[in-house]
Amino acid sequence: MSNFHHDEEFRLHTPEFNELNKKLDRRQFLTKTSLGLGALAVGSLFGNSLFGNAPKAAAAASTGDLEADILRALPHFAPKAKRVVYLFQSGGPSQFELFDYKPKLSTMFGQNLPDSVRKGQRLTGMSANQSALPMVPSFCKFNQHGQSQTWMSELMPHTAQVVDDLCIIKSMHSEAINHDPAITFFQTGNQLPGRPSIGSWISYGLGSDNQNLPTFIVLVSKNGQKDQPLYARLWGNGFLPSRHQGVQFRAGKDPVLYLNNPDGYDGKDRKEMLEYLSKLNQLQNAAYGDPEVDARIAQYEMAYRMQTSVPEVMSTADEPDEVFEMYGPDSRDSGTYAANCLLARKLLEKDVKFVQLYHQGWDQHTNLPGGIATQCKATDQATAALIKDLKRRGLLEDTLVIWGGEFGRTVYSQGKLTANDYGRDHHPRCFTMWMAGAGVKPGITYGETDDFSYNITKDPVHVHDFQATLLHLMGIDHERLTYKFQGRRFRLTDVEGKVVSNILS
Amino acid sequence: MILGNITEFAGHLHPLIVHLPIGFILLAAVFNILSYFKKYANLKPAVSVTLLIGFISAVLACIFGYILSLSGDYDPATLSHHKFSGIMLAAISGLLYFVSTERVKKEVLIPGKIFSIVLLGLIVLMSYSGHQGASLTHGSDYLTMHTLMQEVRDKPVSVQTAMIYEDVVGPILQKKCSQCHQGGKQKGNLSVESLQTLFKGGKNGPAVVAGKLNESELYKRITLDPEHKDFMPADGKPPLTKTEVQIIKWWIGQANAVQGKTIAQLKNTDAIKPKIGAYLGFNKDEGGEGEEKGFIQAVNPDIPLTADTMLIGKLRAKGLMVRMMLKKPMMLDITLPAKSGLKMADLQGELLPLAKNIIWLNLSGNNFTDSDLAILKSFTNLEKLRIEKNPVTDGVSNDLVALKHLEAVNLNETQITDLAVNNLKKNPGIKRIYTWGTAVKQVN
Repeated sequence: MSNFHHDEEFRLHTPEFNELNKKLDRRQFLTKTSLGLGALAVGSLFGNSLFGNAPKAAAAASTGDLEADILRALPHFAPKAKRVVYLFQSGGPSQFELFDYKPKLSTMFGQNLPDSVRKGQRLTGMSANQSALPMVPSFCKFNQHGQSQTWMSELMPHTAQVVDDLCIIKSMHSEAINHDPAITFFQTGNQLPGRPSIGSWISYGLGSDNQNLPTFIVLVSKNGQKDQPLYARLWGNGFLPSRHQGVQFRAGKDPVLYLNNPDGYDGKDRKEMLEYLSKLNQLQNAAYGDPEVDARIAQYEMAYRMQTSVPEVMSTADEPDEVFEMYGPDSRDSGTYAANCLLARKLLEKDVKFVQLYHQGWDQHTNLPGGIATQCKATDQATAALIKDLKRRGLLEDTLVIWGGEFGRTVYSQGKLTANDYGRDHHPRCFTMWMAGAGVKPGITYGETDDFSYNITKDPVHVHDFQATLLHLMGIDHERLTYKFQGRRFRLTDVEGKVVSNILS
Repeated sequence: MILGNITEFAGHLHPLIVHLPIGFILLAAVFNILSYFKKYANLKPAVSVTLLIGFISAVLACIFGYILSLSGDYDPATLSHHKFSGIMLAAISGLLYFVSTERVKKEVLIPGKIFSIVLLGLIVLMSYSGHQGASLTHGSDYLTMHTLMQEVRDKPVSVQTAMIYEDVVGPILQKKCSQCHQGGKQKGNLSVESLQTLFKGGKNGPAVVAGKLNESELYKRITLDPEHKDFMPADGKPPLTKTEVQIIKWWIGQANAVQGKTIAQLKNTDAIKPKIGAYLGFNKDEGGEGEEKGFIQAVNPDIPLTADTMLIGKLRAKGLMVRMMLKKPMMLDITLPAKSGLKMADLQGELLPLAKNIIWLNLSGNNFTDSDLAILKSFTNLEKLRIEKNPVTDGVSNDLVALKHLEAVNLNETQITDLAVNNLKKNPGIKRIYTWGTAVKQVN
């Protein structure tokens, strides 16, 4: 008896299902009636002969084809990058202490920021009431490194070693001045929440290269100071189908919650159970056509495959000591930035398409010298190790590495300026980020800022330009990857964005 | 302000109203002629009232036409002919109506045949006035015998044989500028009809100065910010595309604004040729769109345009990842998952027919030997190859060195030595050789 239901096919016309079928909800009623009426109206307009002779044309005009056409056209160019790892430095790392060397500032300690430089730029509520805006030079020493003789701060000795692999963009600029809108803008192309994130767009447009792992994986460092919050919507799918949202791997024993079998269950009949569940879901979906049901089927199957693939990829047992030494001592402590960099390398080796790390704690309004040194210590070695490791394994060939925050910091000190302590406020008009690997020129610096690193003097790169370039490297024309939602076609770069062709190799 | 808009609006009604007197006066003439036949004799009284409506609409057309003429920019000679003949037309039709009324007929009776002749004369006058009007709107060369006799230029067969002005720049200007700057309508006194009129220019100076971009008003105007009031084409008419602007820039700056020369006869054409090709529609398939956005993607022409999708399906069914990097030509990136347990014999039936489509290939970690990988010599379009973590030796380099598109080879954790690296370096196209975890000593 217990096996009886296993042997019988499900039928839609059992009394239980008949009850269900009678229940037309509002959405279904409207869809069915309006589509029906619309079809009748169109039919009578054109007459039967038209549809009778050209059933294919009528089918092609049906809804949903727009989406299929957009996806069918992909990729638009031969891609240079197959995978992306985006090391997001949340909080707004100061360009003054890391990349943007401004020697002339050293003679201007404590002088007020000239109005001719500020040009009425809005300030945040945190420093708008300051009676003076005293400029402060960087406390760091800078030296030239590599064949490219790029200036790098002493705070990043390891990154300085790989500087010939980096394409440093000093002329990034954003529209938002506070963390939440700025980071949302960077990750989704809009300051207001609700749009899909970059990784979701890529997952939607290009699909997966590894059926056993999610296409878009997110790792958040546990050792970054949690001064500014991160939210799951930064890797959310917005209005795209839910299976394209980023999957966050957590630090510790259970990287993905509830992936392990519960105690006392050996999991042997899980596959069979899932097959029946999937059949039930498909029956449901045949009647309702809700895309969320498709997403649910896909996620159950993915979770099942992840039961083997995730423990395998998380295991560091095969990594020699040399690797841990390269990434730094933190790399043995799961969930740290260093461990996440190592994990990112392992995920990229498995052809996971978009891996995004977040490391918080770059928001130094006060006590900048101490704070930023701590941040660099936690991230510099592992970042450089990731570049070196990808390079020697030949993965930098087709992997794009991105490092950057949501905005930069001001030339003037926020709060009290003393001889060896200061802070810097948010600054969206210019900041530095870098890319490395597939498709970008190595060992170059792009864009210039003025002597105060306040305004861009050459080759500005807007956030939308960066997003357009990223998509371009993956083989996507940012203007053509669109999704129709609530009557409007949306894209990552909204109505802007220009590929920065000068940094493409 | 509002009043200004109303008058402008009324002026724009002229082309609509003007057709009413044409119709009614023509109808009056037709009725008048037909009424000579017995069968249609009953039409005779209708001539008078038809003429009256024609007269009223002609007066309205005159008023609106006058308002329209105030907006300026029309050829003054044609305009005065049109204006004079139009007013005459209205006046004569009014007079004819007057003499056809019963009240006047009692006083002065004009013989029917004279009336008919004058009415036909009115049609001739109307045709003349109409032609002048059309010349104002569409240009004086719109309806001429010239249309019948002019030589139509054949579309050039290649970029090299295309004439820079006649086949490229001229047609761009005709398409984007001539509506307002040619024939009867020469806004700003500029005509784009010929190279001479471009050199002559308009009220802001010459439109084109050979070799001098910043003195050429035309180039300045088409490259302004589209929001700028001097930007051309004005009033939201379709602007020149980026390619068209680049061609005009090159023609003025580099080619001294010549005419009568083919591209082959000109110098420094390497950069502009693909753009002219894109404009003439020769290289549409080769990234014409990327072109518009400022980058050109060079695609190896040896890659077949299509591939057998059945084979791709079979490979996927065997567990390989087959990614389409581009659909036309069909560029494939194929990955055999590590430790797949598959033998080369299981795969070559599908891989070999697709060999020329495979651009990136990853066969790492699958226990392949040199002889397994001997098939790679057929993969002539391969750009990136990963065969790391396989028990291959120096021998494999012999099959790879001849692959002329190969850029990067990953030989990490294989049994190769410096011999293989030296062998591969004979192919200057191979830029990156990965040898981490091998006996290779030299640094790449």
